[in-house]
Amino acid sequence: MLAQSEGPMLAGRDVHRHFEGMRAVDGVSIEVPRGKITGLIGPNGAGKSTFLAVLAGTLPATSGTITFEGRDITRLATHQRARLGLVRTFQLPSEFGQLTVLENLLVAAPHHRGDSLFGALMGRGYWIADEKRLVEQARVLLRRFSMSAKESDYASTMSGGQKRLIEIMRALMLEPRCLLLDEPMSGVHPKVVDEIKYYLQTLRAEGLTILMVEHELHLVEELCDSVVVMAQGKVIGSGTMATLRRQPEIVDAYLVG
Amino acid sequence: MSLFQAAFGFGLVSMSVIAIAAVGFTMQFGITNMINLAYGEVMISSAYVAYYLNRAGVTIWVGMVAGALFGAVFSFLLNRAVYSPFMRKGTANLGMVIVSLAISLMIANLLLPIVGDFSVSYTEHSSSLLRLGGVLLTQNQILIIGVAIVLMLAIHGLLRYTRLGKAMRATAANPTLARNCGIPTQRVVDSVWLITGALCGVAGVVAALNSDSFAIANGAGFLITALAAAVLGGAGQPYGAMIGAVIIGMVTELSAAAWSPEYKEVVAFGILVLVMVLRPQGLLAKRGALAAAG
Amino acid sequence: MNTYYAANLLVYAGVDIIACLALNLQFGVSGIVNFSFIVFQAVGAYAAAVLSMPPDSANGGFQTYFGGFQMPFPIPWIGGAIAGGLLAVPVGFVVLRKLRADYQAIALLVLSIIANTVITNATHLFNGAAGLALVPPPFADQIDPNTPGYQYLYVGMTAVCVALVYFVVTRIVNSPYGRTLRAMREREIAASAIGKNPVALKMTIFVVGGVIAGLSGALLVGFIQLWAPSVWLYPETIILFAAVIVGGRGNNLGAVLGALLVPVGFEEVTRLMPTSLGPPGLIPAFEWVAIGLLILGFLWFRPQGVRPEPRNVFEGGPETDEVDRARAV
Repeated sequence: MLAQSEGPMLAGRDVHRHFEGMRAVDGVSIEVPRGKITGLIGPNGAGKSTFLAVLAGTLPATSGTITFEGRDITRLATHQRARLGLVRTFQLPSEFGQLTVLENLLVAAPHHRGDSLFGALMGRGYWIADEKRLVEQARVLLRRFSMSAKESDYASTMSGGQKRLIEIMRALMLEPRCLLLDEPMSGVHPKVVDEIKYYLQTLRAEGLTILMVEHELHLVEELCDSVVVMAQGKVIGSGTMATLRRQPEIVDAYLVG
Repeated sequence: MSLFQAAFGFGLVSMSVIAIAAVGFTMQFGITNMINLAYGEVMISSAYVAYYLNRAGVTIWVGMVAGALFGAVFSFLLNRAVYSPFMRKGTANLGMVIVSLAISLMIANLLLPIVGDFSVSYTEHSSSLLRLGGVLLTQNQILIIGVAIVLMLAIHGLLRYTRLGKAMRATAANPTLARNCGIPTQRVVDSVWLITGALCGVAGVVAALNSDSFAIANGAGFLITALAAAVLGGAGQPYGAMIGAVIIGMVTELSAAAWSPEYKEVVAFGILVLVMVLRPQGLLAKRGALAAAG
Repeated sequence: MNTYYAANLLVYAGVDIIACLALNLQFGVSGIVNFSFIVFQAVGAYAAAVLSMPPDSANGGFQTYFGGFQMPFPIPWIGGAIAGGLLAVPVGFVVLRKLRADYQAIALLVLSIIANTVITNATHLFNGAAGLALVPPPFADQIDPNTPGYQYLYVGMTAVCVALVYFVVTRIVNSPYGRTLRAMREREIAASAIGKNPVALKMTIFVVGGVIAGLSGALLVGFIQLWAPSVWLYPETIILFAAVIVGGRGNNLGAVLGALLVPVGFEEVTRLMPTSLGPPGLIPAFEWVAIGLLILGFLWFRPQGVRPEPRNVFEGGPETDEVDRARAV
């Protein structure tokens, strides 16, 4: 698959999502530029999380197209998009409760010889090398986010902020090309927020594309290269924060101060 | 009267019986998110209550009222004693299915030693036959259809015009929002179990009345038909359940005439399978039996 | 102790253990509430029976059934296992895709009830309600089945099957694939988000479980030499669920324990009770009530079962490494 070096990483064209008479996403078009952090902001009920879910494939689009690296993925299921490198996190805690923290990370690894019926039946000898490598990879991430001590604890016993970190680390184990983050900082301890911010910036420097739904405007200011503003299912503006602050409709609709 | 005219007549009665059962079942699911697998057993228990009264000389129509009361109280207690506590404990939907299946098994087996495993039937003399356009029906059958119509209108009235009905619809659509709007969800839920329990009780009595004989073992069949009608119409949609009952009632009776009466439940099951493959959300689509997003 | 009694106990125990291991794989590990499990055991038994029996005109033609291929061992057992797997394909295809999880369970329950009705009424298939009798046990031509020696042989064969199934199931569960199954059980949508295909996973485990269930059926029918719809009514699956819940969901040894405590345990306890206690059918009825109470009791007080799913700790972890205590999260 040829990756286009030009053009946006992820694009949605005239995406609609209607359900039970509600137009949660009402004709949204977006281009997420490669190697940048794009913010998706807007008041509550604007349809941001729904739109993210449609991009990720969790919810089917009622109409419109979604392309990833130039390829039409509108018909693909969530797991197929994840395998292509388009990975999402969730707004509500989505850890695998009865798995340990380490296992939460390990299970996300995409290429594991033991992760198939055949591989399992072949026995430990067949997949143990992959397992050891991935355990090391996961432990590096855990050290990064200061959760090494918790590796053998059940994920369900973690705090809200820790669960958030587990999800981010889990997404990173997939070696994604584009991350869709749904309020990644909500419920996280301020010191850990700095850690996540720093890590996201490092990832951007390494070329990762990120689309982030976020409420805290100062975080958006610090992290995002550009921002898309949604309200009532539509895009009402996009650009840098500075540009947007100069548009009175947007300031009125959403930006305070 | 041809075989098919007779089958059509039976279909009318059948759909009436199924409608009463299916609407109760689907409302339980719609408002409390609970698939009550013990529903068939509650139906049968109410049928037996009416049976014992009938043996003591009471007419079956009074027995039906007794069945309704029994069904209401039984269902209410079932929810308060078992279902609610498990749900409040955070048991997932899948866990609740196991709970209700265990309960259904317990009810059937607690009853068996009491009522015995042999078939019984009501004694109700209905020698008068009436002709309704080409179709010959007994007085009992016509009364069953009448009861069904009255109950369907009552449910429609309840849901459309009463405060309780609106509270029920709100709770069904969005329980958290309903609670936040000040709707006393606990009281609504209690009412739902009482009302649907009454429907369940009446359904059991008319189903038993409509059969030559019945026994505890029929509980499973009652459940399947009510379930099939509910899912066909869209799980949780009372009007859908009515439509589902019409379809299933008619199709099963026509197939019994064309094919074999032992396979009525198999036909209902076949319809259920078709719905699941072709349109899992049922006819009056909302979420129904469809999987949550993903 | 009477050899025949012991053999009976051990073979039934083996069959129950195999069944519980399969159900644990489907329900305990992967979260598939397969309420139709007993149907897969039944199809294995029927397949093994008609593969090993003579054509239905034999023995005076008092039974009607399709098949009668008189195949020698091990073909009937292999056929039984394959039949279980084959049945899982269309059933899984219809049920396991678009439906909500609790509706999946109910659809399977209804299937179980209906399958029994159909087989009972379609007498030309498997002789209807009367069922199949005079099923030839394996090696009947070489060894007289009515000898103690044959009993030992059968117990040995059962033990081999138990060991084989335990080996396969353990390999699956204690592998990265098993970890993926457990993740899917925990949170299916999140599992999709990390690239796992829930439908493919469920179908695979449904078929694997079906194969094992079919084998258990072949094993049982070869021993008791008859099989009828009354043997595989839908509540039989519930006994197995009780066993897996009591023994410990997601734990293979727990499944073995559950099999010994519940189906075998109940069978032995009721054997010891006086049969004339109360009206006929009272004791079986109370058995069912007890099963229901067991399920509710464990789901309320100890849902993880007697032997819970083990926690996987990896060597080289924080106990042996320096622990990062610089920042408490």
